[in-house]
Amino acid sequence: MSNDPKEPLLLDHNYDGIQELDNNLPRWWVWLFYITIIYAAIYLVYFHVTRTGNLSAAEYDQEMKAGAVVKNAAMGKFESGLSTLTPSSDAMVLENGRQSYAKFCAPCHRADGGGLVGPNLTDDYWIHGSNYTDTVKVIWDGVPAKGMITWKTVLKPDEIQSVASYIYTLRGAKLATPGKLPENQTPVKTGPSQFE
Amino acid sequence: MNVETFKYDNRIVRAFAIATVVWGIVGMLVGLLAAVQLFFPDANLNLQFITFGRIRPLHTNAVIFAFVGNGMFMGIYYSLQRLCKARMFSDFISWFHFWGWQSIIVSAALTLPLGFTTSKEYAELEWPIKIAIAVVWVAFTVNLIGTILKRREKHMYVAIWFYLATALTVAVLHVTNSMTMPAGWFKSYSMYAGVQDALVQWWYGHNAVAFFLTTPYLGLMYYFLPKAANRPVFSYRLSIIHFWGLIFLYIWAGPHHLLYTALPDWAQSLGMVFSLMLIAPSWGGMLNGLLTLRGVWDKVRQDPVLKFMVVAVTAYGMATLEGPVMAIKTVNSLSHYTDWTIAHAHSGALGWNGFLTFSMLYFLYPRLYKTQLWSTKLANYHFWIGLLGIMFYIIPIYVAGITEGLMWKQFNKDGFLQYPNFLETIVQIVPMLRLRAIGGTLYLVGVFMMAYNLYRTAKAGEFEPDTEVQAAPLEKTVSSGAHGKLSWHRMLEGKPMIFTVLAVVAILIGGIVEIIPMYLVKENVPTIASVHPYTPLEVLGRDVYIREGCLGCHSQMIRPFRSETERYGEYSKAGEFVYDHPFLWGSERKGPDLAREGGRYPDAWHYNHMDDPRSTSPGSIMPRYPWLLTQKMEMDSLPWRLSALRRIGVPYPAGYENGPAQKDLQAQAEKIVANLKLGSVNAEPDKDIVALIAYLQRLGTDIKNAPVTTAAK
Repeated sequence: MSNDPKEPLLLDHNYDGIQELDNNLPRWWVWLFYITIIYAAIYLVYFHVTRTGNLSAAEYDQEMKAGAVVKNAAMGKFESGLSTLTPSSDAMVLENGRQSYAKFCAPCHRADGGGLVGPNLTDDYWIHGSNYTDTVKVIWDGVPAKGMITWKTVLKPDEIQSVASYIYTLRGAKLATPGKLPENQTPVKTGPSQFE
Repeated sequence: MNVETFKYDNRIVRAFAIATVVWGIVGMLVGLLAAVQLFFPDANLNLQFITFGRIRPLHTNAVIFAFVGNGMFMGIYYSLQRLCKARMFSDFISWFHFWGWQSIIVSAALTLPLGFTTSKEYAELEWPIKIAIAVVWVAFTVNLIGTILKRREKHMYVAIWFYLATALTVAVLHVTNSMTMPAGWFKSYSMYAGVQDALVQWWYGHNAVAFFLTTPYLGLMYYFLPKAANRPVFSYRLSIIHFWGLIFLYIWAGPHHLLYTALPDWAQSLGMVFSLMLIAPSWGGMLNGLLTLRGVWDKVRQDPVLKFMVVAVTAYGMATLEGPVMAIKTVNSLSHYTDWTIAHAHSGALGWNGFLTFSMLYFLYPRLYKTQLWSTKLANYHFWIGLLGIMFYIIPIYVAGITEGLMWKQFNKDGFLQYPNFLETIVQIVPMLRLRAIGGTLYLVGVFMMAYNLYRTAKAGEFEPDTEVQAAPLEKTVSSGAHGKLSWHRMLEGKPMIFTVLAVVAILIGGIVEIIPMYLVKENVPTIASVHPYTPLEVLGRDVYIREGCLGCHSQMIRPFRSETERYGEYSKAGEFVYDHPFLWGSERKGPDLAREGGRYPDAWHYNHMDDPRSTSPGSIMPRYPWLLTQKMEMDSLPWRLSALRRIGVPYPAGYENGPAQKDLQAQAEKIVANLKLGSVNAEPDKDIVALIAYLQRLGTDIKNAPVTTAAK
């Protein structure tokens, strides 16, 4: 084949038997090359010479703003419906709550809820109200004056609900080691939790 | 005309061929072991030496530098002699090159499992080995240029242009990226820090792909493909344009590995647009390969050599289109840190490099042994099982990569992350990771078939150590007037030294334009006043992190996306990394980003997690690190390490390493031990784990104290 006299483009050299044709560059290939070069020039001018386009930081700020709108709306909705919430008894929800509790709450309230820095969650003495919704509120807003931080920046509304539901099950639990003693306050009737 | 008689050296070709097959099998076996550990962490047998973080670099180094490296030398030593009509410049250098390269590979196979690593990807080997690599590479370059200078063929064929570009560029890349300050025999710190280190590293890493895996293999394609097909090359002028386009443009594209990181925007943009401009020059190579086969496609159906070549060249074309696509920032925001990158790398490595290497081996063995291939049928089986292996490898990993990317970014309708727990995204892709290992196994089975076939071929034939040939010597005087029609490039092909100089200029420009301003222009790395050097304990902890190869799975670079901020915290700023010698941004997430890990969990959580990740995170695929709990930290080398860091610009006070540092270290270690006790963990203060916890708890905490001082626009 390579010695075919009908190959007019065959160059007159050979390297270890290898010959070369001198075909023209495929047109579409040449255009592909041109287009990428033109695109590159436009891109660089648009972003770095005229600075028309948004670079990463500006893009990020926009994305954060748009996201905050959606998120704040959801949080506002949760806040306004907060007083009507009831504890969940769904096993999945409680398991999620237990995991969040172990991670975020146990360091101050002890793994079994008996209280360490924070108060005992298993007794009848509730500083900020004994209703389920009171617990949700305390987790949501925190009690900064007493060292309880707000968790709304860390946990999602449904996560706060699951951890509050889990805490609800701790009431009246029999502890292996005695829990933290109540502070100066009168007992608040909590009644048997629905899980007892 | 006086004719000279001389001999081609076949022994050196055979030596490199055997090394290619042996190291190929080793490298792929190690890869398979790593792949299995990703869904079955206990496959490390609880041995630190074969745990994922340490053998991943062993796999990449073995496949790139041992398998493809030896394959490249095999092909070059065979083709160069024939294209130059000359024996290699020096037999001594040839064998020095061979044994030098093999010793480097053996030392890599010993030191990487021991945890001696710089952590810079594809440049992990520690400084004594780096020096050895430089020496051996120079020897190869001398042998290459020496042979070209004593050639009996006036003009250099296109394959040789690619060989020259390879030899020179790899030397420049290796030396620049290897600038490290030794801190003991097998420990060193990169001279560059943070953003600068990242840029130099990926300028190197990207061009290691370009000039170690691509240009030499393009050169080999230009020799072996037309030889095997017995067809003239499609277009000489396409060769010229795509050669110069490729080597000039490739160098600029490195920053596409750092899109949406703390690298300044202008460098990211250059990386992206130069990657796009690379499509055409890369495809020029593919076109010249495939179009050379016009008229002989019937032959392709029968000849396994050509079959392997066609798939190799096609894989090259696919990978070099996909690469630029992944370099588009929008695509990269999804693909980066996911398995997509792994799939991309393997379509290149298994398809292009692997299959072209196999085709060369099937081409060379019968010729070296003056016989027929023992079994064409077996070679055909190898082809099909190899192709199946590639499919089973890359398709599941593409699916996994896109799944990860989408899950990481998914928000629910309320504006919260849909999958806030990173582990959920990993559990989702585990079935894909299993399929990938099956693909890898198939591919490896094919290589064993080839090894047997080549062995039987060698047994059946008789090896010809030297091929005797005759050719006329080169005329000294250039009859310039007689060749009036010669194009300027044709002239250049007759002048190897000028050609070499021009090629070096072409490859230097991109690197210089991108790297130098990163040092000279202060705005590129806005400083943050609250960022301080690591404490002595944290330095040792960071070295444990490096030793165990944590960055194989954990990035330390929060990209400026809301999904990343929600998951990991404020995005990473350039000024946070000014004391990071080397940078540890990573390139893959098989675990969560750790850039702001400090303070996220109590000390005791980290202790239990390192002992058994599944005790704190059920379903985790992280290996256990029980040895960190019992191994003593490297206190003795602390003075070396601190003074090495000071010498490259970390402001530890003079004399700090002799006394005060140890005191500070003890105090911080005691504090951590006390914290651990609170979490009912009893630990001794002199163990690796204490240092590692100190480092992890430090990560990303500096910026919490003060805002960034942004440079004026």
